[in-house]
Amino acid sequence: MAAISFPFETVLIANRGEIAVRIIGSLRKLGLRAAIVYHEVDAATPAVALADVAFKISGRTPVSAYLDAEQIVTAARTVGAGALHPGYGFLSENAGFARAVAAAGIAFIGPSPEAIELMGDKIRARNFVEGNGFPVAPSAIEESDPPTFLARARSIGVPLLVKPSAGGGGKGMRIVRDLDLLEDAVAQARSEGQRYFGDGRLYIERYVEKPRHIEVQVLGDAFGNVVHLFERECSVQRRFQKIIEETPSPALSPQMRQRICETAAGIARAAGYRNAGTVEFIFGGGEFYFLEMNTRLQVEHPVTEMITGVDLVAEQIAIAANRPLSFRQPDISAQGHAIEARLYAESPERGFLPTSGKVLMLDYPHEQGVRVDSGIAQGQSITTAFDPMLAKVIVHAPTRDAAVAKAIRAVQKVVLLGCETNAAFLARVLGDAGFRSGEVHTGYLDENPTIASGIDGDPDEVTGLLAVAALVTRPVRDAADAVPALHAAIGDWRN
Amino acid sequence: MFHKFDLGGVMHELWLAPTVNGYYLRILDGWSGPVAFAEESTGRGSLTVAGTSEAVAFAVDGDVIHIHMRGRTRSLRYVDPLRALASVDGDDGHNVARAPMPGTVVALKVVPGDAVTAGTVLVVIESMKLETQIRASQDGIVERLHVKDGDSFDRDAILVTLSQGN
Amino acid sequence: MQRIVSLTDTRAQEFRTNDVHNRRLAAELRERQQAARFARPERDLERLRRQNKMFVRDRIQALLDPGTPFLELSTLAGNKAYDNEVPGAAQVVGIGIVSGREVIVHADDASVKGGAWYPLSVKKIVRALDVAIENRLPVVHLCDSAGGFLPLQAEFFADRYYAGRIFRNQSILSKMGVPQVAVVMGHCTAGGAYVPALSDYNIIVRGTGAIFLAGPPLVKAATGEEVSVEELGGADMHTSVSGTGDYFASSEMHALAIARDIVARFNRIPKAAVDHVAPEQPAYDPSELYGIIPKDPRVQFDMREIVARLADGSRFHEYQPRYGQTLVCGFARLHGYQIGILANNGVLFSDSALKGAHFIQLCDKNRTPLLFLQNITGFMVGRDYERRGITKDGAKLIMAVAGAAVPKFTVVCNGSYGAGTYGMSGRAFDPRFMFTWPQSQISVMGAEQAAGVLTDIKAKQLARNGERLSEPQLAAIREPILEDYRERSSAYYATSELWDDGILDPVDTRNALAIALSAALNAPIEAPHYGVFRM
Repeated sequence: MAAISFPFETVLIANRGEIAVRIIGSLRKLGLRAAIVYHEVDAATPAVALADVAFKISGRTPVSAYLDAEQIVTAARTVGAGALHPGYGFLSENAGFARAVAAAGIAFIGPSPEAIELMGDKIRARNFVEGNGFPVAPSAIEESDPPTFLARARSIGVPLLVKPSAGGGGKGMRIVRDLDLLEDAVAQARSEGQRYFGDGRLYIERYVEKPRHIEVQVLGDAFGNVVHLFERECSVQRRFQKIIEETPSPALSPQMRQRICETAAGIARAAGYRNAGTVEFIFGGGEFYFLEMNTRLQVEHPVTEMITGVDLVAEQIAIAANRPLSFRQPDISAQGHAIEARLYAESPERGFLPTSGKVLMLDYPHEQGVRVDSGIAQGQSITTAFDPMLAKVIVHAPTRDAAVAKAIRAVQKVVLLGCETNAAFLARVLGDAGFRSGEVHTGYLDENPTIASGIDGDPDEVTGLLAVAALVTRPVRDAADAVPALHAAIGDWRN
Repeated sequence: MFHKFDLGGVMHELWLAPTVNGYYLRILDGWSGPVAFAEESTGRGSLTVAGTSEAVAFAVDGDVIHIHMRGRTRSLRYVDPLRALASVDGDDGHNVARAPMPGTVVALKVVPGDAVTAGTVLVVIESMKLETQIRASQDGIVERLHVKDGDSFDRDAILVTLSQGN
Repeated sequence: MQRIVSLTDTRAQEFRTNDVHNRRLAAELRERQQAARFARPERDLERLRRQNKMFVRDRIQALLDPGTPFLELSTLAGNKAYDNEVPGAAQVVGIGIVSGREVIVHADDASVKGGAWYPLSVKKIVRALDVAIENRLPVVHLCDSAGGFLPLQAEFFADRYYAGRIFRNQSILSKMGVPQVAVVMGHCTAGGAYVPALSDYNIIVRGTGAIFLAGPPLVKAATGEEVSVEELGGADMHTSVSGTGDYFASSEMHALAIARDIVARFNRIPKAAVDHVAPEQPAYDPSELYGIIPKDPRVQFDMREIVARLADGSRFHEYQPRYGQTLVCGFARLHGYQIGILANNGVLFSDSALKGAHFIQLCDKNRTPLLFLQNITGFMVGRDYERRGITKDGAKLIMAVAGAAVPKFTVVCNGSYGAGTYGMSGRAFDPRFMFTWPQSQISVMGAEQAAGVLTDIKAKQLARNGERLSEPQLAAIREPILEDYRERSSAYYATSELWDDGILDPVDTRNALAIALSAALNAPIEAPHYGVFRM
């Protein structure tokens, strides 16, 4: 990207962990100053150390600090930030926050508040997409006519997916395969929607069996130019939480790929979308339906960057500086295959129990075609205060098979001692026959629980572990060293 | 009396004996043979088991040994025999409520001196946005609270100590 | 140091005969030891289980460092006494490694008569503590005894080396700075209560352990007071109220873990310095000993053949090889330690006695421990020998043996008779450890000789009154004497009476001596000095 000048010098990052580190990286490249807000528990994290300025914030809980719009805007003003990057999660899709930032004269590195509001309301978004002629799943929206809601749902036919309309991240969603269970599912989804999102409204749509989650990266500038940067497949999920993402999707033919990507671009264009966003679809049985649009940078954006060579964060910043996109659709091409595996502080072998601990040793693989986006450093403590994602391991290779092999090796080379992670599980998923053949869908992991639980260590491995443990544990070593040579030589002898 | 290590909830007993030029490992109901470990740099070394060597990364945290070998990380806990054998019959007169997973304290439901029965909720904790109630496993009297509202704790941390009821 | 060249033909008929015979004796020894160690009526084992008690050998196994040897002493004590109903005299004693330290383990065997102390039990315990004192070895007591066996109290109570000596020895050990740990795993009553009380450290097991001068029934009889075992002397009371108990253990395994942790605190002082190099196995197979020891105990054999199967590399530096040839003297190594060996190749003459006395002094000055391999019928008798001073030369040998400051070890390989027993460092001369081989015999003179002498005396007595004995009558006098001698000079009788520290399978001798020697070096070696040698 040619050197450009920006109307701001300092960008405040209203986020933490690996994405904050990621954003700082692009800011450095562009010669901009990185400021960050942080809660006390994150004081020892690499993002805080790398930033040029760090501003401490506080809250009743650590999470609440990062949700405190007022504190963050004040921080931005105080450090003289001319722009603010919200990362993902937290306030990144909060229209009120986007407005407050703009009102403070700070450029919000993201879409307009209106776009956020439109796509944030699942029902509004769905109606908008359908109204513009793009495919949506047959559905029943409660709000349009509450008394007939259940009847309309029944007429779609099973299988059905009940969702809170204010929801996201899979919370409150329920699959109904038997109409007799519909009313109960509705009641439960409503109460969860109320509890998690403060909104009990629902909508029900056709559930695609063995659905594949395909999403498309889009970028739009302030001048109405919208491009897509191809799709990502995120079907390896657990309870609607993504674990492994890749591009290109092994499920799509070139024609289908084109259709889906152009649909996504079309939706973004119709919404007058600006900055980075992702349009998510459900694909199955040769059909695809609009699921939702995420009006922010996504966790799995690196795989797109690997195949296109585009720095999405840098593009976001340029767009926020009112630059036009420096490329057109024909300029964007994809090379090879990229896979991302998310490293979590959890134990899949023990029912995905969250884990914690101090990072006693940290070492990532360093080789060609392997990129690790990490938010942690050796010596810091991992707690359950936040989402358990620690790092992303991303690989790029000429073919899918080569990428899978490289990803397995990379994940096995991750050394993180002191806090249990899902690294072994990631290797098992990547090595699974179903994954290797590309035949996955969003229910795949749930259907194959042994991938999570793993197989018991082979005796050889146990021997090696016990040998290391014995030799490095002082009481064991000291007890051995204490035995006189004569008696050790004679051994277990009785007269 | 053998040394005990807990690996994934399974107890393994072993003994390390010195030999003329190294050590000999004996795993109860398992393998026995010569072993050696050469530490090459902090936390990194080469393990040799019966002549075959492989690279190992390790970190020791109190009684826990974290080991990365063959592309996997596992953790073992050295079980101190004095502690393990002493607490076999309920910590001589005490029973404790431990955290089943790492998390934060949402609410304390008892104060020292309270008499509780088995099943009484002692503490409410939150972990990964799930609330869990920690209950007394047997009748007793609350002796001491080891945490307060908002405190974070690790798995197995002692939250409440109770003494046997009269 | 050159290697002994063995002249034994392992394919000869004689070798094979001996081999079969000695292997049978070794097998018999193993069986009898196995029975003494483990054979118990099921109801006694069942009782232990009900009482939540571990079998004594399981306790010892848990106490010792895994993968280390245990040299058990006097396994067959009491095997010829009390109708053989008190195997091991209800005691297990041995040298083992606990937390890397050499210790004496002394354990009551509660599976035998409740662990009661018989006269031989007391003798075994006193011996164990004597070993601890002489060699400065820490002691771990595993206490679980029903107390003294009262019907035989006259044989274990009052005399100088009876039960009181146990407590005197404990006190002396403590005075010497040699620590003791007592693990109370049963009732320590009356005298038994002093074992933990006189130990520097003690541990009491909850529920089964108790310490009291008198138990509840005796207390009730004495003062009318009614009190439970727990209240009177249980773990809780003694560790929190009276302070008699140091550590409270919730189980036997817990107690043993604590004991190991206590022993791990013991200071390790440098051992006596004895010349030492890397160990080497004998060049000849030790199992050839079975073929070398003659089946007929009256047949002579060359002790060098024995040495060749005991010493490192079968190397032996012989001293005065051409003089006093009935006593082989020389230096060898045992598991790397240099030792001086004296071994009998026949009757002792003046020259061999002088050679022995001289060699002992050489080793003493050189700080070289001594190993006596006995196969001795006695000193030469007769007019010429007396004129040449055999008596005073024998006295010089005894004076040297008695005065030697270096540790002495004795193995009775075959016969051990008369003054030869003494000159070759018998029990009375304080070898640190004394072992025998299964075929060995020990008595003041050979059975035949004794029977002959006594029959003769009887016959002469009767002849004064004019009576003459017929052949059958002579036989009737001779036979019981022979019988008695044979019975009471056997290795099994000797070990039953604790005249030695145990019978060894010959092939175990090397390991046993190495462990014994290593243990002995925990005591400093005094400077050499002797009484007057009658010149």
